[in-house]
Amino acid sequence: MFNPYLPYPVRIAEIRVETEDKNLRTFKFEFLDPDDENKFAYMPGQFAELSVPGQGEIPIGIASSPSEKGHVLFTVNRVGQVSSYMHNMKKDDIMGIRGPLGHPYPLDTLQGKNLLIIAGGFAVTTLRSTIIWLLEPENRPNYGKITFVYGARTPGLLLYKDEWMAWDKRDDIDVFVTIDREVPDWNYRVGFVPAVTKEVCPAPENTAALICGPPIMIKFTQPVLEEAGYTPDSIIMSLENRMKCGLGICGRCNVGPEYVCKDGPVFTLAQLNQLPKEY
Amino acid sequence: MPEYIVEENALKDFLQSISKGRVLLSPQGVGDKCQITETTPDKVTLNFTNTHISPKTLFFPQTEWLMSFQKDHSKPHPYVYQDLGDKAKSAVVFGIRPCDAKGLSVSNKVFQNDRFTDPYWKGKYESVIKVGLACKDPFPQCFCVAMGGSPYGATGLDVLAFPSEKGLGLKPITDEGAKLLAEANLKEADLSSELKSQEEAAIKAQGIPDDYSPIDHRGLLNLFQDPQWQSIAENCLNCGVCTFICPTCHCFDIQDEENSEGGVRMRNWDTCMSWLFTVHGTGHNPRPSKTERVRQRFMHKLKYIPMKQNGDRGCTGCGRCVVLCPVNIDIRSVALRMSTLNMQKQA
Repeated sequence: MFNPYLPYPVRIAEIRVETEDKNLRTFKFEFLDPDDENKFAYMPGQFAELSVPGQGEIPIGIASSPSEKGHVLFTVNRVGQVSSYMHNMKKDDIMGIRGPLGHPYPLDTLQGKNLLIIAGGFAVTTLRSTIIWLLEPENRPNYGKITFVYGARTPGLLLYKDEWMAWDKRDDIDVFVTIDREVPDWNYRVGFVPAVTKEVCPAPENTAALICGPPIMIKFTQPVLEEAGYTPDSIIMSLENRMKCGLGICGRCNVGPEYVCKDGPVFTLAQLNQLPKEY
Repeated sequence: MPEYIVEENALKDFLQSISKGRVLLSPQGVGDKCQITETTPDKVTLNFTNTHISPKTLFFPQTEWLMSFQKDHSKPHPYVYQDLGDKAKSAVVFGIRPCDAKGLSVSNKVFQNDRFTDPYWKGKYESVIKVGLACKDPFPQCFCVAMGGSPYGATGLDVLAFPSEKGLGLKPITDEGAKLLAEANLKEADLSSELKSQEEAAIKAQGIPDDYSPIDHRGLLNLFQDPQWQSIAENCLNCGVCTFICPTCHCFDIQDEENSEGGVRMRNWDTCMSWLFTVHGTGHNPRPSKTERVRQRFMHKLKYIPMKQNGDRGCTGCGRCVVLCPVNIDIRSVALRMSTLNMQKQA
């Protein structure tokens, strides 16, 4: 019988320090058994449990796109026991990943629509996955205009710099990267995400917004979108809660009757409006 | 399917027969308490109220090792977790009460949900044939009828046993139960009218049941936001005893332990009464105080589970938490308060 608790063994193929405070590192994993890569078939927005033998597991959004073959990427913030341990691991160390878990962004039902993608801080990970996937030549024609708003406190806290700088030069995605306060040699925007969103958000007709960021950003961005005319079912968010099993069994990540791990983490604002605010 | 009768002096032979090639599990006295455990036919008794802790321990042990790994690079698969299996044994349990069998069937739908199957639970749950023992006389703490069950309920059972005038009556419920009884070489008997009158009497003996159906009709947010949760939670110590003895509480934690040679990943029972249960890495906690945690327990049992399981409640009225709560929080009075259209008025 398939055991959803048993991680696929992976090798750390590369570790990249992402931010100037060194609190975020991106881990590139390769499956020890190439067959496991096929079993780990995922879509943007899903997450996995990163499993360090003897230390424990952490649920982390998948930062790579399914179109990037041969490896998977996870960007990990140093917070607790497992993530701190991972920050001391080295290339070629063996660990595990378990998943994919949760539901992806509903990219299939969003075909034909314009997409407004809003990210704050290091919550950009699964949205990186989404954008890489959307920009693939076979996927890009299925969607309308794509607008990407991404904010962090300082330039040194922005992830995936080479990538969004490259997207900024393309003409099939509008990129608005912003930092909180002005600094020398910064050639992009200055200001908070809600303010930038207000300025650049496309008309709500036939447009969906994907938002992932810290609670404070969501709190102030949501009214901007509602004022602009976005309906609750066109605002799509990804939740986080403490998790263990990731399978809707261990009982801690529920928001009312829904489990963030099994029924989410992606919910529309319309769905969240029907649920208690326990997240 | 016909009923069968086991005459009083033939109980041991019957148990011998159904436990052939299987482990026999039955309630056994442990000090002044009783617990379902491995036993032999001569030690089985029908003279017990109910087990101290629910029989969930059979399928969901308090601590369970799930997988292990070793660290020696000269051996195969260093630092790769290997499954330790479900450790299921073919068994028959005799004497599980209808409330517990129903409670475990609720948990079964969580462990085998719409997306995932928990192999450790499934292996154990499905390798045990469940022979239930109906409750002819209700115990003081019982309220299965109010929760939508019956002292003669058959949900989650393969066979229902009940004390008959002629001995022990047996009613097969599932095909597996029918096969078990057919192979035991028993005397067939038509006990349906006796069973029916016994059940009616046992239901009546629980008194007029409380009506909790308004909970099903009240809106989720309306119930959740009711200001009375604070006063309901006021006495609670968050000790968690209610969650440990409950037949439907199934929450667990997963922990790793290691030494210089290797390690194991295990799961342990956990409780929603704990602050640590939900706290985020950032320090944010969606259920920061006992009010949210007490609300979670009762909402989960009486609203969330019914929403997900076609109206079946996550409380089956076994009464353990009512008896054991150190501050006398009674799920019946909480359910009644939740049933009141405006809980504020009842304060």
